[in-house]
Amino acid sequence: MSDPYFLSILIFSPLVGMIVLAFMPKDVKAPLRTVGFLATLLPLILALIAFVRFNADMGELQFVTSVPWIEIGDPEVTNSSLYIYYALGVDGLSLLLILLTTIITALAAAASVKIQKEIKGYYLLFLLLEVGMLGVFASQNLLLFFVFFEMTLVPTYFLIAKWGYREREKAANMFLIYNGLGSAVMLIAFIVLFTQTGTMNIEKLQAIDFSRLPSTVPLAHSAFRYGLLFALIVAFAVKLPIFPLHSWMLRVHAEAPVPTVMIHSGILLKIGAYGLIRFCMGFFPEAFADFAYGLAILGLINLLYGAFIAFRQSDFKLVLAYSSVSHMGIVLLGLAALNTAGIQGAVFQVISHGMISAMLFFMVGVFYERTHTTELRNISGLAKSMPRTSGLLLAAGLASLGLPGMSGFISEFMAFLGLFERLPVLAAIGTLGIIVTAVYVLRAVMKITFGKTKEEHQSVADLRLVELLPAAVMIGVIILIGVYPAVLADSLHLAIDSVLVGIGG
Amino acid sequence: MVDYAWLVPLFPLLSFVILLFFGQRWRSGAAYTGVILTFLSFVVAVTVLIDQIGGSTAAVTFDWLRIGDTVLSMGFAVQPLNALMLALVAFVSFLVQLYSKGYMAEDPRIGIFFAYLGLFTFSMLALVISPNLLQFYIFWELVGVCSFLLIGFYYYKEEAKAAAKKAFIVTRIGDVALFIGMILLFWQAGSFAFADIFEAVEAGNIAPGMVTLTAILIFVGAVGKSGQFPLHTWLPDAMEGPTPVSALIHAATMVAAGVYLVALMYPLYLASSAAMLTVAIVGGFTAIFAASIGLVQRDVKRVLAYSTVSQLGYMMLALGVGGYVAGVFHLMTHAFFKALLFLAAGSVIHAVNTQDIEKMGGLWKKLRFTGPLFLAGALAISGFPLLSGFFSKDEIFVATLGAGRWILFAIALIAAFFTAFYMFRLFFLIFQGEARHEEKDVYESPGSMLVPMIVLGVCAVLGGYVNTAWFGTFLADWFGSSTNSLGIDESGGSPGVTIIATVVVLGGIYLAWLIYGKRAISREWLSGRVPWVHKVLYRKYYVDEGYHHTIVWFTSGFSRFLGFFDRFFVNGLVELSAVLVRAVGGMVRRLQSGQVQTYGTVVLIGFVVVILIMAVTGGYFQ
Amino acid sequence: MNDLPLSLFLVLALVLFCVGLYGALSKRNAVIVLISIELMLNAVNLNLVAFSKYGVIPSIKGQVFALFTITVAAAEAAVGLAILFALYRTRGTVNVDDMDDLKN
Repeated sequence: MSDPYFLSILIFSPLVGMIVLAFMPKDVKAPLRTVGFLATLLPLILALIAFVRFNADMGELQFVTSVPWIEIGDPEVTNSSLYIYYALGVDGLSLLLILLTTIITALAAAASVKIQKEIKGYYLLFLLLEVGMLGVFASQNLLLFFVFFEMTLVPTYFLIAKWGYREREKAANMFLIYNGLGSAVMLIAFIVLFTQTGTMNIEKLQAIDFSRLPSTVPLAHSAFRYGLLFALIVAFAVKLPIFPLHSWMLRVHAEAPVPTVMIHSGILLKIGAYGLIRFCMGFFPEAFADFAYGLAILGLINLLYGAFIAFRQSDFKLVLAYSSVSHMGIVLLGLAALNTAGIQGAVFQVISHGMISAMLFFMVGVFYERTHTTELRNISGLAKSMPRTSGLLLAAGLASLGLPGMSGFISEFMAFLGLFERLPVLAAIGTLGIIVTAVYVLRAVMKITFGKTKEEHQSVADLRLVELLPAAVMIGVIILIGVYPAVLADSLHLAIDSVLVGIGG
Repeated sequence: MVDYAWLVPLFPLLSFVILLFFGQRWRSGAAYTGVILTFLSFVVAVTVLIDQIGGSTAAVTFDWLRIGDTVLSMGFAVQPLNALMLALVAFVSFLVQLYSKGYMAEDPRIGIFFAYLGLFTFSMLALVISPNLLQFYIFWELVGVCSFLLIGFYYYKEEAKAAAKKAFIVTRIGDVALFIGMILLFWQAGSFAFADIFEAVEAGNIAPGMVTLTAILIFVGAVGKSGQFPLHTWLPDAMEGPTPVSALIHAATMVAAGVYLVALMYPLYLASSAAMLTVAIVGGFTAIFAASIGLVQRDVKRVLAYSTVSQLGYMMLALGVGGYVAGVFHLMTHAFFKALLFLAAGSVIHAVNTQDIEKMGGLWKKLRFTGPLFLAGALAISGFPLLSGFFSKDEIFVATLGAGRWILFAIALIAAFFTAFYMFRLFFLIFQGEARHEEKDVYESPGSMLVPMIVLGVCAVLGGYVNTAWFGTFLADWFGSSTNSLGIDESGGSPGVTIIATVVVLGGIYLAWLIYGKRAISREWLSGRVPWVHKVLYRKYYVDEGYHHTIVWFTSGFSRFLGFFDRFFVNGLVELSAVLVRAVGGMVRRLQSGQVQTYGTVVLIGFVVVILIMAVTGGYFQ
Repeated sequence: MNDLPLSLFLVLALVLFCVGLYGALSKRNAVIVLISIELMLNAVNLNLVAFSKYGVIPSIKGQVFALFTITVAAAEAAVGLAILFALYRTRGTVNVDDMDDLKN
């Protein structure tokens, strides 16, 4: 556990692949793809090692690195100076998200075989994106977090704008503007925190009880804290996304290339949830508790709003996009419950939705490649020509609607379990979402797989082995979590306890 | 042996996993795999049952998931009720799989069919031995999804697709109620385990209002699964699935799970008379409601489906009036004769390739085995004296009357009359009269289909003797011995009730014979007098249409509205802000002359202004 | 020399700077604009040298900076003239009003 370089190596391990790729010629497609895929295995292996070596019974951060990075102020002049550290470390929550990142990135790299143009540039950006995502979850310093956070935006922008579908530039711009604004708000909040407390270390900030600060510090006043918390919530609400800040995400889902959407909906959205737990809840527990009711209502709106709209969409990708809005509502509901069950449910939902939506989009990629459409009215009866694809799509759909035995159920169950303790009426309204989810998922999935097979899709080929393997891995993980959730819960409970200590619940 | 009860669901699971990977290649091998593994599971289930009758129980749990300080566990438990269910489910599963081997032999997807059956049997058996509500709920949903998969087995048929979707969604409405009830109970009792919940209920730790609320919520779950009014609409549509599936899932096992759930949670219901009354009324109403629809339907499987709904209503009625044993007893006998009827109907369909009873007729001589077996089933379900249905229905009547529910008793009697009538309408139309079908070569089904039917026929005839007022109330004694706390008070037989019921049943059969057998009365005699009644019944009281024009219409209208809202309002705001920014930019860009000197002048002026402000305010902004 | 007050140097520098500023902002001919910029730089140089002699803490630093500035000014003038030549060749004019490429 005391290996100080381990996390840094893990985070920057995709660079190995980038360096190799950089020295390869541009036009050798197959080798570029192979290297690009293999490069994502290295972080995956390291993350698995970290998961195995992680001590779930230790409450502190593990694999900690802390090196002074930026020095602000001249000790000769002002007598004291502020340091910003290059600080890394993981607890159960971060570790699971890192593991999720590496898994989904590897799967998305496998799904990237369908990318045809500029493969070299594609994989370079792809791997850079992975560095950013890993860094986000491992950072223990706000500035470092911010740097990695921004690092995810740039490659994503280019991945969307260059390799996306028809309206890719518009989608990319929308993505950048929304997220840029969000991260600007976040940066302001971080800087305010820094100037008020003199530290950017996440753990230290969590330990500070702001209400005990001397009253000369603005942060000691609750109104100021509310404002700061609100800014942070807005910043992460854009990312999650919370209604009404979700428009950008729909476009990205519809226009971005499939592997990018897998990463985007599988991991990037989860940074929003991670931020809400780590920063909003972690730094301002009491203020967050006061906001909880409002967040629960927002969560309810997300859940029902997304579900009802998904019901009418004619493009399968948009159904999935609204379904993400809806599922993120469950994350909010879980967090708003302010108890172990709820937060654990929210974290499970983050991970489970990551796997499920990655899988669904993977399947979209599979049949889009063959049918060249994702419009629901243009596809039906794929079960005839593509039985395996249809079976897996149906399985992923069932997972998405929360079928027991799969991961989606566990998270929904725990989130509602938590919420029913605190806000039973809202929770009861929320269960309506479970029904509507079933309605829209079945409508869309059955439209694709059931019914009469269209003429032109009579003889499309079923899954190839390279497609079957990633899909099998995903459904395997989804079922594993669903059948034996303790595999995640065991490494999580201390992290959740530490968040809850502040709330006192 | 009870300690090995966990083996029972394991065999079908194994069958599912094996067939999922290899089923498509094996074909008839797939059928054998399924049949043999289910048979193993049946053997273990029987030994468990025997052992349990001997008095042993089992309760094994292990930690599954930790949520803070709460530990959720999984495991299995064996008591009288679920030992009986275990054996019953394994038994019917085995027979239906054997039957399917013949029935589905021609289907190219037989491998996946048996895989689904394996998954279903696994889920159903695991549901039965669940020691806590959470595990119960998990498998409850899994059986639902298996039902969905099997209804939609003929995925290319639009009707099958719609029926599968409907089944899933309608039962899910019930499931969500169960979900809420389960979680509310958890926060009241602090545990999902049945034993803990009952303890809390008996100790009075749960407020009476909460007991009623949770009991009714759980009952709504049962209503969804057991096709009770108003969530019954999915069950008749579910007949789009292959016939063995209808026999196994939509007659004998899964749909009975709702009744089983209420029986399982009986202490909760006993604590709330309002909940009991609700159960009784919904059950009684469903019994007559569905039976009246069954009178006029033309599709043989649909008649049987409405009959199932009606019989499940009987069971609910029995439970609701305190007839615990009567309800469970009827559940058991119903499993036998309804599975038999479906399998026999399947055999008929297999022979004439139609499900329309108007296109059958005169099959008695051609189907030498199916005919008598169907007759046995029809007699049993009607409650013909000395057959299984007679005893179990009798108990329900006695219990209803014993509870003083006169109206419900009358309703049950009328429903019994309807049952006898529509069953024999079916029988006479299918087997008597001249042949109206187009099929030239009508053959009896192969042995693998006949053997299960014969076994079920024997059970349907003799199954009632486990609990009779005359030959000993074995079932009641057995349940009573271990679950005294349920307050089971079976009053035994009541000759008056028995005689009335018998007369009603014979009357129903006689009327059916007059109309469809002897044709002494014209078929139009009744329907011609009150055509609108016939129409309402034929259109199933317009419930589907009603739902379509209210709930479905509202949902889709609402989501369309939200879609517009999202596109034009939320997205409109975004576009508006973009337009605003662009407009402001358009104004400001006029200042951008491109002339460096102009810029320099502006800089200079700005600088001077700043200096001036600072001069006036005296330094920094204060 | 020693009794000349600092203010005289500063006033001279101010006058030079303002003349330069006026020229840089108002003249049409790019060559004159360049010369005006030189004037402003020299005004700064004058200030630097003056302060290095009469400032609160007199030191050589100011004069060193002035030397730097002269060097840089020379380089800048050379580059500026080179750009002007290039512009004149392509456009045939040294009128700054015609150079509004920043706009498009």
